[in-house]
Amino acid sequence: MSTQRTAQAAGLAALAAAAIVFPLVFTNPVVTNYGVFTLIFVVAASAWNVFSGFSGYISLGQAVFFGSGAYALGIAARDWHVSGDAVFALLPACAAVGALIAVPFGLVALRVRRHTFIVITIAVFFIFQLMAYNFSFTGGSTGLSSPFLNWHADTYNNPFYYITLACAVGMIGLAWLIRRSRFGLQLRAIRDDEDRARGLGVRAMRVKLAAFALSGAVTALIGGVWFYYLTQVQPSTGFDPLFDLSIVLMAFLGGFGTIAGPVVGALIIEPGQLYLTAHFTNGYYSEILLGALFLLVVLFVPRGIIPTGGEWITALRTRGRPAVTPATAPPPPAAAPPQAAPSPPTTAPPASRSPSTPGGSR
Amino acid sequence: MARQIYEAIVDGILTGGVYALMAVGLTLIFGVLDIINIAQGVLVILGAYLSYELSVRAGIDLFVGLLITVPAMFIIGVVIHWAFLRRLRGRERTSMTLLVTYAVALIVEGILYKVWGPNYVQLKASYVNSSVHVFGFYLPYIYIYGFILAVALIVALYTLLYRTRFGRSVRATMQDETAARLVGIDVNRVAALTFGVGVAVTAVGGMVYGATSGGFNPNSGYDLISRLLAIIILGGLGSIGGALAASIFMLTLESLVDIWSPNWAIVVFYGALVVVLVIRPTGFFGRQAVRAQ
Amino acid sequence: MRPDLPLFSSNRFSRNALALGAAAALCAGVLAACSSGSSSTNNNSSSSGNTSNSGSGKPIVVGASLSLTGDFSADGQAFQRGYNLWASDVNKNGGLLGRKVEIKVLNDASSPTQVVTNYQTLFASDHVDLAFGPFSSLLTGPSSAVAARYGYAFVEGAGGAPAVFNTPSNQADHNVFDVSLPIKDEMVPFVNWIQSLPAGQRPKTAAYPMANDPFADPPVQEAQSMLQALGVKTVYSNIFPAEVTAYKAPADQVAAKAPQIVVLGSTDVPTVAAFMQAFEQQHYTPKLFIAAAGPDQGAAFTSAVGKGNAAGMMVPNGWYPGFANAQSQAMVNEYVAKYGGSPSDVNADVAEAYAVGQVMAQAVTATKGTDNSKIISYLHSGVTLSSVQGPVKFDSLGENHAAAAFTFQWQDGGKAFNQVLPTGDTGSKTIIATKPAWTS
Repeated sequence: MSTQRTAQAAGLAALAAAAIVFPLVFTNPVVTNYGVFTLIFVVAASAWNVFSGFSGYISLGQAVFFGSGAYALGIAARDWHVSGDAVFALLPACAAVGALIAVPFGLVALRVRRHTFIVITIAVFFIFQLMAYNFSFTGGSTGLSSPFLNWHADTYNNPFYYITLACAVGMIGLAWLIRRSRFGLQLRAIRDDEDRARGLGVRAMRVKLAAFALSGAVTALIGGVWFYYLTQVQPSTGFDPLFDLSIVLMAFLGGFGTIAGPVVGALIIEPGQLYLTAHFTNGYYSEILLGALFLLVVLFVPRGIIPTGGEWITALRTRGRPAVTPATAPPPPAAAPPQAAPSPPTTAPPASRSPSTPGGSR
Repeated sequence: MARQIYEAIVDGILTGGVYALMAVGLTLIFGVLDIINIAQGVLVILGAYLSYELSVRAGIDLFVGLLITVPAMFIIGVVIHWAFLRRLRGRERTSMTLLVTYAVALIVEGILYKVWGPNYVQLKASYVNSSVHVFGFYLPYIYIYGFILAVALIVALYTLLYRTRFGRSVRATMQDETAARLVGIDVNRVAALTFGVGVAVTAVGGMVYGATSGGFNPNSGYDLISRLLAIIILGGLGSIGGALAASIFMLTLESLVDIWSPNWAIVVFYGALVVVLVIRPTGFFGRQAVRAQ
Repeated sequence: MRPDLPLFSSNRFSRNALALGAAAALCAGVLAACSSGSSSTNNNSSSSGNTSNSGSGKPIVVGASLSLTGDFSADGQAFQRGYNLWASDVNKNGGLLGRKVEIKVLNDASSPTQVVTNYQTLFASDHVDLAFGPFSSLLTGPSSAVAARYGYAFVEGAGGAPAVFNTPSNQADHNVFDVSLPIKDEMVPFVNWIQSLPAGQRPKTAAYPMANDPFADPPVQEAQSMLQALGVKTVYSNIFPAEVTAYKAPADQVAAKAPQIVVLGSTDVPTVAAFMQAFEQQHYTPKLFIAAAGPDQGAAFTSAVGKGNAAGMMVPNGWYPGFANAQSQAMVNEYVAKYGGSPSDVNADVAEAYAVGQVMAQAVTATKGTDNSKIISYLHSGVTLSSVQGPVKFDSLGENHAAAAFTFQWQDGGKAFNQVLPTGDTGSKTIIATKPAWTS
């Protein structure tokens, strides 16, 4: 056990070191640019996951925070005449704005569940996008430009890379801490059965709201970074419905509700998409391909790369022997939802149905 | 001013009918299958393109063409359900279906681009641009026909649900899937047929939308889906009459705010949804929308 | 530490870490692959782009990002044809400075994230010699900042919104050059014509519905303030969302006010078509109806609204296929020879793109090389260049105030798209001063 722990720590340290020296090895701005955008999505997808993945409330309104963060930075820099490096000092203010928006948003939206919650987040999203269009302090349809950074092109991306990397490490660490905490346990209790959790004394609204605000704050923060890197924000780009769908897809591809899942999803999807869009100029096919890829993921790796991959590895290791992992010890409590129970066997991959990691696995 | 308000109300009721035509399928699918069909918007556009093709190539009247496009869309719906949706189960089903139907939307959109290209087209007929003069208002024929069709369709769906054997199984499935299964209802078949009916109805909505909007292209579905979702949530998920009532309510409200500022009208549209749900989380005519998680 | 919870089993976490590492490796692979060929040449491309003008064998590579998919794909593809047409014309005539010209286009799917990535790829990895702009003002802003950072002159034809020129990066580096007419000035010939009418014949009332779009509003707002100064009463002025679901209500309201002039801030064909449809349903025909965009789309417009209804519709633009300019005529003929169709099918996007190439070619020839800093100072020197869109002369922020401005009208029952304003120009036809009634 302890050797495994050491190996784990070593692996993580190596990974962190690799991420830190990355821009020194790949000095080309093209590569660091990929790094910046990818890390932005690592942060956004992880932040989404800490709320939606842990609590089971699917939010399609994270762009509300992302765009608000971008606009907050732009408006603050413009009105307070901040420019240059000092703009980065405004990032905590972006996070505060995100949290401030999340509280009323959550108080309204978190009263309803499931599909109604999803649609209400979409509605709030549109309200924010339309407000950005309609108000004059947001620059209307023209949007806002960021202050000019007089940095050299060769190294321009590096500070952004390290800031986004720091955010990503912080976010992943935060997710890990939450998962281990009482707070995380309460969130998962809400996901499994909110009414029962409430009965057991979980103050559901408070817990959900705290996770929502945290998620919103981090998303707004990274939205601010994104804006300064891109130099411009418009209502349609800051509040972009595709942003929401992207982070959901990332989290699902990697593994919904796991810590590494959204990270892996973002690491695969964002660079892949940036590269393929640039070189794939036949839009009709690229759209069909993207849709087909979606379907393959959902139909064949429905639980995401991390859990499914983990099962495969366990299956390989145990090979025929019953899998004896600590995870299998307790009987599955509320994990098997009623819908799944009466389902007749289908052609879905057996791995996803095998009881090797029940209950706690998700 | 009073005249403007009357005009806005008439406008709202008529356009509300058009939206109801697009929304009933979505709410039916939701009620029975517990699925938010993101692809509904682009399927509306597909329905519009089918009508377009029939009227341009074969000279078939838009309303007559529905006799062909509705069955065609029914088959498309059944196939989509059979191929992609029937297997989804388990705890993350809500979000899975969201992703799958979004993927279907992307694929259908890509096919539409491939076949019809990015240029906007519009459905044309003698009754599309002309109008009748009643009580000092010009009422466009296409909206009147669309409204009548919406009411007729909703009556037909109610008949289907409350007067037929199929309807009984559908309602049983809506109430309790497990129990329905236990009394011998083939839930999978019911789900597939319902999805087919829900998509078939969009053929009608698509035709009227294609004739009343300034034009549509493969990308137009995205403008629609969020509004349709707002409407069916407001009407109460799964409530067909609720969809009509909510369409009329939302569109009338929007059209009234339009007098003051078209730009804020859409904000009010979504804002109204938020406000209503705070007061009444199940929408106007919702059953217990909050099923056990 | 809560060992009693299976969720936190270390086994699980190691799995996660493993997969994380695998994925990171995979991504590093992808990144390395896409930067290959560039990271090997340890970049000496400092901030001035490529300065090499020797080696006549090497082609001059021009980089651009265009929206070949997504919302603006129709325009993006027309732009690509314009750039390619220009390149093939140059190459037919022996190239630029004796070197062949090559166009390298990446797709941005109308996304700002993608456009920023693409221009960095073109500059830092492909080391293109020259840069052409993307399609639409929304993308020109972020991409011009990248071009500024790398010291490229950013010549573009479709970013005419005021916001493009006022960005902090352009105010610092002055590297953006729009060869087309600044959109704010588009309606000026129309207003001038109304001013030229005898006071008794001038229309008295006007409506200004505008889509919420940086491209559609500025010309309408300019026209509104100028017409108000002439004593034309504003009966309706409102901004509506640029969304096809939102057009009917403002259109009905305009019809209810029955103004003599409608100046519509439209973004595309459906905006105009929706207003025309609602007007017809309300039995209201404005005397004069000018729309910022839509009627310029040729067959795409007439097939959407019907030829009969198109008659009398006006649109401002900087170019048209019948433009009496020798270069323009030659380009139209080549376009038809290469892509088929008839001259009237040539989209104004093609001319905008072609003009970008022409302006850049003149700058390269004059500076005898592809040194972007020399090109920038040459283009700012106050020199007047020629293009298929007429004269080009840049001010300090890169706006072309010398650009020709025309107003066009559908005439002959929607069969002909004629230039009607300014009235004195060669080839200018008489304006239909009262729009014919709706016909369908």
